[in-house]
Amino acid sequence: MKLGPKTAAAALALSASLALTGCGGAANSGPAAAAPTALTLGTIQDVRSWDPAQAHVGHVLQPYQAVYDTLILREPDGKLSPMLATAWKYNAGNTKLTLDLRSDVTFSDGAKFDAEAAKANMDHFKTANGPQMAQLASVKDVTVVDADTIDVNLTAPDPALEYSLSQAAGLMGSPKALGTEGIKTEPVGSGPYVMDKAASVKDSQTVFTARKDYWNKDLQKYQKLTFKVLTDLTARTNALVSGQVDATLLDPKNGKQAEGAKMKLAANEVDWQGLLLLDREGAKNPALANVKVRQAINYAFDRKTILDQVMLGQGTPTSQPFGKASGAWMEELENYYAYDPAKAKQLLKEAGFEKGVILEIPSVPGFETQISVITQQLADVGITLKVGAALTNTYTADIAAQKFTTIFFSLFQGQPTVAMDQIVSTKALYNPFKNKTPELEAKIAAVRNGGADAGKLAQEVNKYVVVQAWFAPLFRVNQMYYHNSKVNVTPQIQQAVPSIYNYSPAK
Amino acid sequence: MIRFIAKRLGSGLVVLFVVSALTFFLLYVSSGSIARNILGDQATAEQVAMKEQELGLDQPLPVRYFSWVADALGGNLGASWFTSEPVANSLATRIPVTMTMVFAAMILIAVCAALIGVIAAVKRGWVDRVVQVGAIIGDSIPGFVIGVILVTILAIQLGLFPATSTISPEAGPEAWVYSMSLPVIALLVNGVTGGAQQIRSAVIKQLERDYVRTLRSRGIGEREILFRHVLRSAAPAGLTVLSLQLIGMLGGVVIIEQIFALPGMGPLAVTATGQSDLPVVMGVVMYTVVVVIVVNLLVDILNGWLNPKVRVS
Repeated sequence: MKLGPKTAAAALALSASLALTGCGGAANSGPAAAAPTALTLGTIQDVRSWDPAQAHVGHVLQPYQAVYDTLILREPDGKLSPMLATAWKYNAGNTKLTLDLRSDVTFSDGAKFDAEAAKANMDHFKTANGPQMAQLASVKDVTVVDADTIDVNLTAPDPALEYSLSQAAGLMGSPKALGTEGIKTEPVGSGPYVMDKAASVKDSQTVFTARKDYWNKDLQKYQKLTFKVLTDLTARTNALVSGQVDATLLDPKNGKQAEGAKMKLAANEVDWQGLLLLDREGAKNPALANVKVRQAINYAFDRKTILDQVMLGQGTPTSQPFGKASGAWMEELENYYAYDPAKAKQLLKEAGFEKGVILEIPSVPGFETQISVITQQLADVGITLKVGAALTNTYTADIAAQKFTTIFFSLFQGQPTVAMDQIVSTKALYNPFKNKTPELEAKIAAVRNGGADAGKLAQEVNKYVVVQAWFAPLFRVNQMYYHNSKVNVTPQIQQAVPSIYNYSPAK
Repeated sequence: MIRFIAKRLGSGLVVLFVVSALTFFLLYVSSGSIARNILGDQATAEQVAMKEQELGLDQPLPVRYFSWVADALGGNLGASWFTSEPVANSLATRIPVTMTMVFAAMILIAVCAALIGVIAAVKRGWVDRVVQVGAIIGDSIPGFVIGVILVTILAIQLGLFPATSTISPEAGPEAWVYSMSLPVIALLVNGVTGGAQQIRSAVIKQLERDYVRTLRSRGIGEREILFRHVLRSAAPAGLTVLSLQLIGMLGGVVIIEQIFALPGMGPLAVTATGQSDLPVVMGVVMYTVVVVIVVNLLVDILNGWLNPKVRVS
């Protein structure tokens, strides 16, 4: 009774004084945190289902790595190393991949990991309709050769397969649990940690403890691992700065606050941002069919200035949609379309669009600033950008239905074939008008059959779409992954957040 | 009184049914592309078709609605399209968090607002003016701003409270108290100032009535007049304000829970609507309607108990 009015009065006084003084300032480290044998990570969302076939990429893959081993381990720099598979080899035509498996691994429910278990997982993955089901689309079937060997038979060569087996498609769950209701809420794997279900709350936190007798102690650096779900960026920043979590993903603006509190940055370029000029044959907007118009759009942007203003300089200006880690990236394409408004106007004139071009794009939540800046820069060369209604959560279906001729987006830069099937090939969601030319189809086919040279061959595809101006990339953006001084973190190539193997207690 | 309650309950059920039907049809009419949402941007057309069948999106709308109603009557609100978790389970773990916060805030608001309002009405003068100014300031700062300020000072700089929720099965009740303190304060500032204003005017209005003069002329003490007569007559106004604030708070609590990462209804509602996770959205809507109906019913009963005139009308 006594406490109520006092508290209220204090709060009132506090808010009044703060309203007058405009509070701010750097924070000190908060309450003392746990011993270094525990690691707490702030994550953006909870895992939807613990069925390994429902795993996704990036920060949706990370929690699965705590409980599931993959057949192949992907090092921070992208190199593929043995994990549950000790060796693997293609046949001459790249249509059969033979994997040798470990024979000393058991799942947390006691089931043994062997060739049958690996086959069961891959069969399950192919039919479970998870978000990454396409990773095994080229797999015809899996045959058991002996207790610790499998053959993965392909319908056509797939240079991304080994990579896929280090990702969602390579996660191995207990064959006894696959397909049951139980595995949706409680994972059963052979990984370094097991879930402590009693201490976990859906959408709030998931707690893991180190598994006794795990086969690879080098990957098990903590006794306790907690994923704290913090969907709100402000909440993530506060939790990191006050010591509730050891590491989390922020953005350039909130990163400033974290740096003020002595947090360290493990930056990593994973996505590119820019325009996708989808209607390259002019089905709905004839102007876009003219390559000179598409090139003019590219010359209109002062990429460095936009990056500095909008992203506080956290990234690299670029003219190419393929990322550095893909092998398709080329130095000479980086600055292919340097800022040149005069050249943009000249190209529009040559294309017969001296009177101007109108482009319609949807607004995109979170990218309003970028869109308003490029609207201005396009207007300077005579291109009118009409910004329509915002993308809703049905945007993927809308894109597939050819609703948009141009969109501004931020896209993941994956392996060459992954990237091709995302934005270039006729299978790609972000090629809804199914644009293709015989020349490009030949280049794509060369990559698919390229085996180990896929990356190098993809440079040809990259060069083609840059010269033909299929896109107007602005820059690759940094993922701002921050951590405190209690933990060492190595960024993981092509992932917004590191794999769980990349954290270790700071000495 | 029994008849009065029964009548109110009956109309509440009708509202529940109408709202559920409206929500269902409005949501499901635009649910055509949900399957692709669930699978993400790397899914093939075949996968999308498979998913639609899996979710029963190929059935006609009325069929789906009536099967939803039939299930709901049996306490089964379906399962999330994204996580397969039963909606009833999600609600059961989250409603306690949100309701604990809302009721703690309401009780504090009722006590503080009544105290401040009565003091301002009785004392008038400078006390009243301070309350008036405080009310304007308190009303003009949104709850979430207060929340951010509280976190910055009390959690990050002074480390007195956790910056985000520490509620979990392994943490004891003190985690609840610590985790809830800042969000509850952030929630109640607006309510206290608004409520105090209303109670102040209601009490002043009563104090100017003839019956108060009559009571005073009979030599009855100020205190007795205030607590036995005036407050009782001013209560309905105060209760109505409180009930409106509680219903309004269901919206405010969503943002506060996001900031403090409390595992309550707020984040569930935000995530579900953002993803078009329709079974969950339906569950959240049903919960909101039920709360509104129950609160209104309780207010009517309390008013009836305090003031017999209400029962007759």
